[in-house]
Amino acid sequence: MVELKDYKGHVAPDWCPACGNFAQLTAMEKSLTELGIEPKDVVVVSGIGCSSNLPEFIHAYGFHGIHGRLLPVASAIKWGNPKLTVIGYGGDGDGFNEGTQHLYHAARRNVDMTYIVSDNQIFGLTTGQASPTSPTGLKTKTTPDGSVEKPVNPMTYALSAGATFVARAFSGDPKHLQEVITEGIKHKGFSFIDVFSPCVTFNKLNTYDYFRKRVYKLTDNDRKDFQQAYKFAEEWNEKIPIGILYQVDEERYDQVDPVVSQGPLIDREPYRLTQEDLKEFL
Amino acid sequence: MAREEAIFRIGGAAGDGVQSAGQIMGKTLSRSGLHVVTYLYYQDIIRGGQSWYQIRGSANEIKSQGDGLDILIALNKDALTRHTNPKINEGGASPLQGVAIFDKGISGYEAVDGVTYCAMPLAEIAAKYGSNKLMKNTVALGAAAAASGLSFDVMSDVIADTFEGKGDVIKQNQDAAKEGYDYFSQHFKKLEITLKTSNRKRMLMGGGDAVGLGAVMGGLKFYAGYPMTPASSALHFLASHASKYGVFVKLPEDEIAAINMAIGGNYAGLRSMTGSSGGGFSLMVEALGMAGMMEVPLVIYESQRSGPSTGLPTKTEQGDLNLVLGASQGDFPRIVLSPRNVEEMFYMTAEALNLAEKYQTPVILMSDLYLSENYATVNDLDLKFKIDHGERAKDNTEDFKRYLDTPTGISPRAIPGQAGLVHNEDSDEHNEYGDVVSDAVTDPRDRIRAMNKRMRKMETYIKSMTPTPTYKLDGAEYAIVQWGSTQGVVEEVVDALKEKGHKVGAIEINRPFPMNPDIGKLLEGRKKVIVVEGNYTGQFNRLLKSEFLVKTELITKYDGENFYPSALAGEIESVIKR
Repeated sequence: MVELKDYKGHVAPDWCPACGNFAQLTAMEKSLTELGIEPKDVVVVSGIGCSSNLPEFIHAYGFHGIHGRLLPVASAIKWGNPKLTVIGYGGDGDGFNEGTQHLYHAARRNVDMTYIVSDNQIFGLTTGQASPTSPTGLKTKTTPDGSVEKPVNPMTYALSAGATFVARAFSGDPKHLQEVITEGIKHKGFSFIDVFSPCVTFNKLNTYDYFRKRVYKLTDNDRKDFQQAYKFAEEWNEKIPIGILYQVDEERYDQVDPVVSQGPLIDREPYRLTQEDLKEFL
Repeated sequence: MAREEAIFRIGGAAGDGVQSAGQIMGKTLSRSGLHVVTYLYYQDIIRGGQSWYQIRGSANEIKSQGDGLDILIALNKDALTRHTNPKINEGGASPLQGVAIFDKGISGYEAVDGVTYCAMPLAEIAAKYGSNKLMKNTVALGAAAAASGLSFDVMSDVIADTFEGKGDVIKQNQDAAKEGYDYFSQHFKKLEITLKTSNRKRMLMGGGDAVGLGAVMGGLKFYAGYPMTPASSALHFLASHASKYGVFVKLPEDEIAAINMAIGGNYAGLRSMTGSSGGGFSLMVEALGMAGMMEVPLVIYESQRSGPSTGLPTKTEQGDLNLVLGASQGDFPRIVLSPRNVEEMFYMTAEALNLAEKYQTPVILMSDLYLSENYATVNDLDLKFKIDHGERAKDNTEDFKRYLDTPTGISPRAIPGQAGLVHNEDSDEHNEYGDVVSDAVTDPRDRIRAMNKRMRKMETYIKSMTPTPTYKLDGAEYAIVQWGSTQGVVEEVVDALKEKGHKVGAIEINRPFPMNPDIGKLLEGRKKVIVVEGNYTGQFNRLLKSEFLVKTELITKYDGENFYPSALAGEIESVIKR
């Protein structure tokens, strides 16, 4: 029997008070507990950023790597040992700048893992520079006159890449956030969850209040309807949907690769060469 | 005395089937009990240009592509004039003094002394047996076998194996080759060379094959690699043997993903590896340091080609040593291996996987285009290899410290899924538990202990190093120092110079970093230390001098081709006389 306390890390989070990451850490712990998954069977892989410090704060196997590269690491862990529950966790800078291409390819490979992005629309750890999701006009240390770039849309990107589970949540609604994360972990395939996670220190625009006024929950949408999901993904400004936009069952890479599909690589004895194998060189 | 070896060369444009023909010739020689070394000269194009494939065979042990050219198969006029031209000297290649086999349709060439021109109806004969135009190559191969006095039967078997599963094509090619063989015998004289063939078949293996096969022996389960010449030959071998050997092979979105996947695989407990040439390796640099910091085992196969940047994509060089030694910020333990020949590539790849896991740190296996893309006969291989996973923590170890400070610097590893060993591995500096010590108040003692612990692994490794290999070094007044792929040519040069009365020997470096302290002793008391390497600045030379404070003479080559024995012997002689 797994209990919530089993996931409590022995290091206290170093995030600013009221940081959106706290709600995600708690939601993750609760979801894993509810699903009865033991901490020893969980690997949390992260990149670099405030949110990416999370593996240290949860009692699970943690891999705190380098900026933007968590998805290739996580993919290989899952392919090698499918018994593990693999969660990728990082920020918008990590995932949508240096990690952009990895997201595209992990999604199309339908790796059986959950990728949660703590999206605060700013660089926090490096003290407040414009991130790929910073809204146009946002004044930051690197955009003192306001950002002139169009922000990326993680939802349409994940959808077009072929993610089989695309969802959005909000740290200001922890119960709903946890429901979405639970569904994401349960989903057999690549689950992408973009979480609005206000940065209380550096982003004075995209605050808890900002999102509370705008978000609404999807309840009875047809999750299999790609076109509809895409429309929800494009909604922005006044009304922003949260919840599961899209979810389908599709073949995963590990089910079709001729080697990986033969069973967990981790459990297989390595091949022992014999003289017979050398005949091809004669 | 007749020459006891034969050097064949097949010249043509890319797309002419130069390489396929060369491989049939190579295998015919190795199956006839001969030692073989092949040498491919090609350009970075898929069709056109000029490429050639050279095959050297002898009953005596041969170690390099050699000097001289006995039999030329010219698939076009350009090849005929180029390889008979006394001034050819492409990176040291010799012009033909022997037999030229070509289609009688080629005309208007200027005859050169010492060349027997054997114009043959290659295309006509080929057309009798099938419509594939490349079959004229097979006719020429048959003629080349006759010219060198090889029996036809062996070639016939090689053709059968080459076209296995292709039905009539086998017989067509065998018949075409036979007619080429007979035609040559009836119309021309066999060359005055002696190839002492035997019934003992030898294995002919490519460098990339040896890496792939060695990795399988070393327990590889996962190879993530992005294509780049000349590292692709290993990737291709593994991909084509993936199901048979149970190795998962993945070509991901880029080299950054490749190395991060290999790290993820190793972290999860699978023996995993990545590989590339210098360009791809450059992209891997940041993750390399991560593996060093997090103490995740990792093997990187780095096969060099001429740089900088895209450089000469199909040419060899030893110019990446500085890159490999300096890659990634900060100090962390790394082991660099540089196998000297195809056979050693096999054994060292397996060993690299053990070393990576034992020392929980990156191991970089360096090769170059000359080794990775060429074929050589290898001795019988010893397949008894003990996979050593290094120190692993037992489940439910009390107060488990992933980075336990130990006298060897090596801490027992835990992999995800193990009970009671849950911990964090971090690219930030961390304490023995894996807890980050960088963001909070940094305790200098934690940092110093962590650095010392990791770097201590290098001291442990150095203590375990086997003696540095040497060649005829006893009594040598002049020590030639080589590293990696130049072993063969240097040994042949040592033999040639000794015959001329020079007191020379060689020190052979297959473990360039960290350096074995025994090299210092080997360098002592020499009149001259002559470093031979294939790059501009003498990257290894600088390393050797800084480690052992020795005065050296440097011989370099950076034209894209390997050293040739006679040219190198001349250069060394002039250094000796200087």
